[in-house]
Parts: sequence; C-alpha cells; structure tokens
Amino acid sequence: MHLKKKVIAGVVAAGVGLTASAAFADDIRVGITMRMVSENGQAYGQMVMDEIDAINASGGINGNMIKATLMNDECKSDKGVANANKLIFQEKIHLLIGSTCSSVSLPIVDVTAKAGVAQMIPHSTNAKITQKGSEWVFRIPVSGRYYGGVNAKYVGENIGTKIAYICAADAASVGDCANMEKQMRSRFGVDPAYRADVQEKEVDFRSHMQKIKSANVDGILVAALAETMARALVQSYEAGIGEDVRRIGSSSASNAPVPKIAGDAAKGVFFTAAYAAADDRPIAKLFNEMTRQRYGIHAPDHDFSQAYDLVRIMEMALKSTDLELSSSSLAADRTAIRDAIASVEGYEGLASGPISFCAAPTPQCRDGNRTAVLIGYTKGGEDFETEVLARVTMEPDFGLE
Amino acid sequence: MALLETRDLSKSFGGLQAIDKISLGIEQNTVHGIIGPNGSGKSTFFNLLTGVYKPDAGSYIEFDGRDITDKPPHYIAGCGLSRTFQLLRLYGELSVLENVMVGYHPHTKYGPLAPFYKGAEVRRHDQAIKDEMLELLEFIGLADYTEIPAAELSGGQRRLLALGRAIAMRPKMLLLDEPGAGLSPVNVDNLMATIMTLKERYNLTIVVVEHILKVVMATCDTISVLDHGQKISEGTPDFVKNDPAVIEAYLGREMADEDIRAAMNA
Amino acid sequence: MFFLSRLANMIEALARIHRLLPWVIAYALLLPLPWIMTTFFNEYLIDLANRACLFILLAVGLNIVKGFCGQVTVGHIGLYAIGAVTSAVLSLEPGGFGGALGFGLPVWVSIPIAVLFTAAAGLVVGLPSVRLEGAYLALATLGLGESVRIFIAVTPALGSSTGLMMIPSPSIGSFVFDDFASYYYLVMTAAVLGIYFSFSILRSATGRAFQAVREDTIAASVNGINVVKYKLLAFVLSAVYAGLAGALFAHMPPGYLHHNNFTVIEMVTLLLMVVLGGIGNVWGGVIGAIVVTIAYDQTKDLVVYFMDRPIIIQPLVFGISMVLLVLFMPRGIGGLFEGIQRNRRFIRRSEEKLGGTA
Repeated sequence: MHLKKKVIAGVVAAGVGLTASAAFADDIRVGITMRMVSENGQAYGQMVMDEIDAINASGGINGNMIKATLMNDECKSDKGVANANKLIFQEKIHLLIGSTCSSVSLPIVDVTAKAGVAQMIPHSTNAKITQKGSEWVFRIPVSGRYYGGVNAKYVGENIGTKIAYICAADAASVGDCANMEKQMRSRFGVDPAYRADVQEKEVDFRSHMQKIKSANVDGILVAALAETMARALVQSYEAGIGEDVRRIGSSSASNAPVPKIAGDAAKGVFFTAAYAAADDRPIAKLFNEMTRQRYGIHAPDHDFSQAYDLVRIMEMALKSTDLELSSSSLAADRTAIRDAIASVEGYEGLASGPISFCAAPTPQCRDGNRTAVLIGYTKGGEDFETEVLARVTMEPDFGLE
Repeated sequence: MALLETRDLSKSFGGLQAIDKISLGIEQNTVHGIIGPNGSGKSTFFNLLTGVYKPDAGSYIEFDGRDITDKPPHYIAGCGLSRTFQLLRLYGELSVLENVMVGYHPHTKYGPLAPFYKGAEVRRHDQAIKDEMLELLEFIGLADYTEIPAAELSGGQRRLLALGRAIAMRPKMLLLDEPGAGLSPVNVDNLMATIMTLKERYNLTIVVVEHILKVVMATCDTISVLDHGQKISEGTPDFVKNDPAVIEAYLGREMADEDIRAAMNA
Repeated sequence: MFFLSRLANMIEALARIHRLLPWVIAYALLLPLPWIMTTFFNEYLIDLANRACLFILLAVGLNIVKGFCGQVTVGHIGLYAIGAVTSAVLSLEPGGFGGALGFGLPVWVSIPIAVLFTAAAGLVVGLPSVRLEGAYLALATLGLGESVRIFIAVTPALGSSTGLMMIPSPSIGSFVFDDFASYYYLVMTAAVLGIYFSFSILRSATGRAFQAVREDTIAASVNGINVVKYKLLAFVLSAVYAGLAGALFAHMPPGYLHHNNFTVIEMVTLLLMVVLGGIGNVWGGVIGAIVVTIAYDQTKDLVVYFMDRPIIIQPLVFGISMVLLVLFMPRGIGGLFEGIQRNRRFIRRSEEKLGGTA
C-alpha cells in the first residue's frame, strides 16, 4: 500500500514535469517540424516563427493568438514522426507544418491522416507524398513530377538529348532523376547517355566525370543535395568538361550553398524552381529585401518563398474560418481548418504561379503550385546572381501514372 | 600408471627453442615437482600441457589415456586437467563464489541456451553447484567472503581462491605454477599444508613448478629438473639433490641464494 | 537511497513467496500505463514509452555482448537495421512503391524470421572478435554496422532513399495493432521478457562464462570455457534482441523505415544509454534507455534566444550532460545501485556474524 502510494505520487510528479506548458484554450496551436541542421534550415524555421509573431502582433487571427512550436527533425524520419506525434497528441495542435525532407514528410502524412490534422508541407518535392490519398495534406512547393517535365522540355528543345545523369541517393534527388528520365523518354524517346548513382554525401566524382567527358554529351544533370551538387559541379570543370556542355541542376540547385560553394562552376547552371530571386515583380523585390535585412540572406531560394507563402496561405485560411477553440472542439476545429485550406484558390504570392487546392484527396488537388520557373545562374560565389529563363504552368495531372 | 605423459615435447618461439624434446611421465596420485633455473622453460611447459601454447610438430602429450597434443585449453580442462597461474588470473569483478562456480564449468549439465527453455533445471542445478562450492570454500577458509569481488581480497586470500577455483572441477590432475611466489616462509608452509590436505581430500595428482627448493624437496615424490628447455635430471628428491648435472645447472649461474645451497646440502 | 533499500527488501520478500511474483506484479503495474497516460496526461507519452521499450530491448541486448562478455561492438545499430528491414520486406505486399521488395507474409511470421536472420548476422559481426580486441574490434564492428546502412541506402529493393513505406501492422484476426496503446502491449511485453531472460542468462553458467571471458580469456579457457564459442554466442544473443527490437520498430505505426534511422548517431545514442545506465548491469541498460529517451524528448524544444535568434540548444545540452556523466559517473547509474547492493550484503553478513558470535 505504502509503496503504491509512493509510486503514484512519483508518476504524478513526473507527469506534471512532463506535460508541456498548459496551452490556453483560446490559442490556435500550430506545430512546425523542419530540418534545421544547416544555417539555411534554421533561417526558414525562424522566418516562419517571425511571421507568426507578426500576425499575432497585428491582432492575431480574429482576435486569437497563434501559439507556434518549432521542432528540428534533423531530416530523419523517426524524429519527424516523433515530433509530429508529440505536437499532435501532447501539444494538441490544430495544424502541422512540415517537413523539409521528403523522407520525413512521407511517414508524417500517415500520422496526420490518421489523427485528422491538416499538414501543410513547406518544402518536400517527392511526388508520392500527395499520392497516398490523404485528405489532410497540402503541398505548397512544386511537386517533383512537374519539375521533370519542365526540365526535360527545356533541355530537349534548347540543349540536346544526349544527357549524362549524376543521381545522389537522397529521396528528392532520386525522384528528380526518375522524373527527368521518364520525361526525356516519353518526349524524345531517349535514355540517359550515362548514369551514375552516388551516395548522398559523395565527395569524389572524378571517375564519373572522365567517363562523361569521353561520352560527348550535350548536358549533365546533377541531382543531389546542395553541397554534394556544388562539389560535382566543381569537379566537372576540373575534369575539363567545357562550358558548352550545359549543367542542369535538380531542385536543390536553388539553394544558396550551391552557387556559394561552387563559385564559378555555378555559372550557366540552370534548374527549375518555384521562385526566382531575379523575379522583377515588386512583391519579390520586397521579399528579397526583407530576407536580406532580417536574415542576411543574399538571394532567397524557393524554400524561403515557399515557407513565406505557406504562412500567408495559413493566415488566410485561418481567418476565413470560425473556430471554437475549446478543448472539446479540437477535432471539429482541425477539420474546419483543413476545409479552409482546401478552399484556397488562385492565391498569388511569391510563388512562380498561383496556388490552388481543392477538397479531393488527389495529387491534382493537393499539389498546390503547378508553375515552375526556369532559372539560370549568371554568376557564382558569395554574391551570386540569377536570371529567369522561362516560366511554365503544367496541367494538374501532369506526370501522374 | 602414468596419468600424464609427454614424448619429445618441443616448442620454439621464432629462433628460440624454449622447450627441447622433453619426455616425462607423471604417476597418478603423486606430487611431482618441476624445478630449474630461471628461464629453463617451466611456465612454458605448463602452457604446453594445458593447450595455451601449441606444441611443435613431433610432440606428443597424453593425459588419462587420451591424446591432448593439439587440443584447445577448454578441451583439456574438460578431460580433468586443471591449473593455477603465477599471476593468479582471478575474475576480479566476480565474487568469490562466482569464481569457483566458473571453475566448475566443465561439469555443467545443461547447455548454454538452457536458460531460455529449461529455466527450472538450470536453477536446480545451479543451486546444487552453489552448495558444493560453498562446501569447498568452507574447506579452504573463504566461506566468509563469498559475495566479495575477487579484486578486493588480500594477497593470501587471492591465492586460496585461485586454488579453490582450480579444484572446483574435481580435476584428476592439478598443475600449480609457483604457488609460493612472493610468500614468506611461514605462509609457504601453510599453503603447502593446505595443498596436501586438498590432495588427500580430493584424490588429486599434483604437479608443481616451484623456485623454493626446500618446499619441493619436502613435499614431492618425484622431481624433474629442466635447464634451457631440456630435462636434465629426474628422480626422487635425494637423487636429484646430489645429481652433479643439477648442481652444475644451479651453481653455474649467479646464485647468491642461501636457500638453494642449503637445500643442496640438507 | 533508503527508499531503494526498502524497495529491494520488499522485492526479496515477494520473491521468497514465489520466484516469479515480483515479475508478475511489475508487469501488472505496467499494464494500465496507457490508460493512466490518456486519462491524466496525454497519448503522446504512450508513444514515448513505446520508443523507450524498443531502446530497452536494444540496450539490454547490447549489454549482453558488451557488458557481460566485454566485447567492444559499435555496429549494433546495423543489427537493428537488419531486423527492421528484413521483417518489413518480408511482410510488405509485392510490387510496392518504388520497386521495393515484398513477400506478403503475415507479420507474426516475418518477425521471427527477421529475428533468426539477425541472429545469423550477429554471428558474422562477431567473427572479428575471435581475433581482434579493443579499438580494432571497434573499427571492424563499426565498419560492418555502417555497411549495412549503406547497403540499404543504395538498394532500391530495400527502400533505398525513399524508404520502405506502408509496412503493415501486426494483427490478430480483425484486431490490428496500429495505435499507441495496442502497440504498447507488444513492445512492453517484449521488453519485460527481454529483461527477464537477460537475468536468466546472467544467473546461469552461460552468464558466468560470458563474464569469465570478459575478465580473463586465458583463465576462462583453462576453466573449460570455449572462448570462441561463448564470444560468438554473446554476439548472437544480443543480435536476437536487436532483431526483435528492429522488427517491432518496423511495424510500429506509421510503418515507415529509412536508412538514416540507423546512422552512427543512433549508435552513439545507444552506447550512451548503456554507459549511462552502467555497463554489465541489466537494470543499467533499462535505466539508461528510459532516461535518455525522456531526456531527449524533454530537451527537444528548448530554445535559447541569442542575439534575437532562437537557437535550439538540445544537442549542446545533451552532449555536455553526457560528457559530464561519463567523466564523473563512469559506472553509470547502475554502478550506484551495485554499490548500494554490496553495502546491504555487507551489513547483512556483519549482522549475521555478530548474531552468530553472540
């Protein structure tokens, strides 16, 4: 008896410590899980928090404040899932924002679908995320299936069809390579002239570059995460492959580390993205200025613009609903938020094109942005520069099986 | 009847011939001494017998009618040949009781995976072993220290434990490697008395390597003398004491040890 | 400390009534945990408990080869990966996403097969231990562990970079183990059994042989212990634990595996648990697993504002506290307990002696 009392007392004491700070019933609780390992990653997370602070400062959402919890998932699926579980079940969030890496977003889709919490994806491009049939997921960035088509079209028409592929093992790059290959085959009936599958953090591409050099290709597709891509680009020049062979980047090419690390090797590299810093719209210029001042970012990539657009869409959707925000209305509030996001149509923000969602749990409805913009680096190094080459809007079911 | 027999036992390390064609026999129920100057190969000899070293080709060792020449140490232990080490090599973190229980290992009646499916039998058998080992510890005077980790015992107690562990498996033959090293004369006598009692109690055959010649002469039935890896003499203590070859081997070195000369002349 | 002594006395009293009674009571006390969590706190804590149970299995298993048998192994996470991926691949439907393999076996079949397969892999990981020791063995096992992860990373049939998804949950008839509470009963039972059998091994000739090998291999061999056999057996047994933990991890909702669940970082975290809890101590592994899992979770959203920027300081806090721990408590928490136990025995023996000589 005595022992049991002590045990229960101990458990309660531990529990009081374990439960996070009590949430106020009137707050809208938003959970964010992102990869915040790099400096860029931390900046995205910070920007989302700053923007939410700004919303709160100007009166919140119809008088309710947003309480945001930011967590780092280190681009690891088990940590991302643990974060999502904690946010959904302990913090009892109304909305989840996450994640950066496709390998983390994929399992979280199952978690949010089962728990009934809307999930807005800030970055992941892997096409399968929206193909799982979840009615709770909304993708802000451009899905990888569009990128492949845009790239292939531009490459085939302007560069040539003899392309070498360097494909790193991370989820996004694997998807990008697969998409490109599929598109090149269906549009032009060609296979890769050369294909190298390398590790996620590969450092030595020299033997591949030699083989590529002797294969006399028109272009080289480098699909890898930022630092790895930069390395490959540099080594392609070191191997003596001339400027006339165009380097094509996958979606990560838009990340700042690529031109910064690759320096001159970044010149002439082009890629498809969802935002161009060289965009001359006033809204883009304002955004560039803001990121420069606040976060020291010289030319923001589409991950920044997507995170920003996400917050704006979230704000819009939240303001358009009537939320009860009591502890018993959690499920109803979550559903209402989902429906509000699903009715977003034609949102014009920083993104390369309008963002629209609809209610059906299909990729057509849940991949919000169908416009890709082709961007080229005109100058590499710390103060890199870009130009917009083309802007393409695809059909909603483009790239689906 | 020779319980242990070697024929042409040899071992070389690189260019050094540590043991050179030693042939000898150990009779059952005797106390057999192995002596010789430093570096004569006594410890190497024990290591060869117990399988810790592999003998060179051409060697032959037989124990209790079985060929153990190239067998691994655990097999030889299973045949009933046990030993102590000069450095004791106790299991420091294990308790006194656990140390001797490990000594009993060759007689374990259940297999290594038995705890998963024959738990009751394991417990029963272990209790029986425990009881027997407690009796052994009682006999050698360590019964008060059963739970103490071996590393915390005093020097004398550690030796007793090493002895107990070696006897735990009821060996047919026990090899003692310099059991008296570093002990004062009184303690050496006590130790030898204990060993002799154990021999009687458990019907052991004992082979002892020792430097302290007084002890060897007093307790052994037969003595073999090694020098430079070869057997240079063998026989009763009286015979060996007076063998010119032995005297030369010992006195031909820088030995200021009164003990040796005293033993020679006693 | 006094409380622990009283607890230990109570457990001994119970054990005298029946050997298994403390275990049954402990299990019974653990059963209502999901209900307690949901009613008084929140469901997430059950998920946390599930993950802690998986790590308990891993840590207790690692303790067998590392703590009991003294073999340095830094590749254990590779065995965890093998258990996970094997059970996943065996139970996935064929023709899965992205070319992943699938055999469509029921989960209750795939898990035991995965465990056996991991045991065999454990044998392979253990082979270097026959010849190597210390740092060299560490390197060899580290290499083996990492190569498992890389092999998974580059093999599309095993999920490669997109991972294995929609791994089925175990089910009995129409009841599916696909939420926190139901999965808790699976992993908690596995953990309790794992701890129980670890004690069974420890308190048998096998356990004594393992420890003898750890203390002095030459002495062990002349005591009749086949050192090679027991070293390999230790690796195989710990692989069984790792394989079971891995398989249970794979089928845990949402049923997703990715190769970066098994990196060196995870291995170091596991080592940390074993060291924190106390090497060679069964409860040490348990305590270490629980403490590290909770500490990691609680420090996750610690944010410090430095020059107006929020910085997540968890890695720093975590790292520093662990370094301090290893510096000042090298025997871990378990070491503290061992000290208490010895004191109690000494006191008891002294009392007996005094009582006897009175």
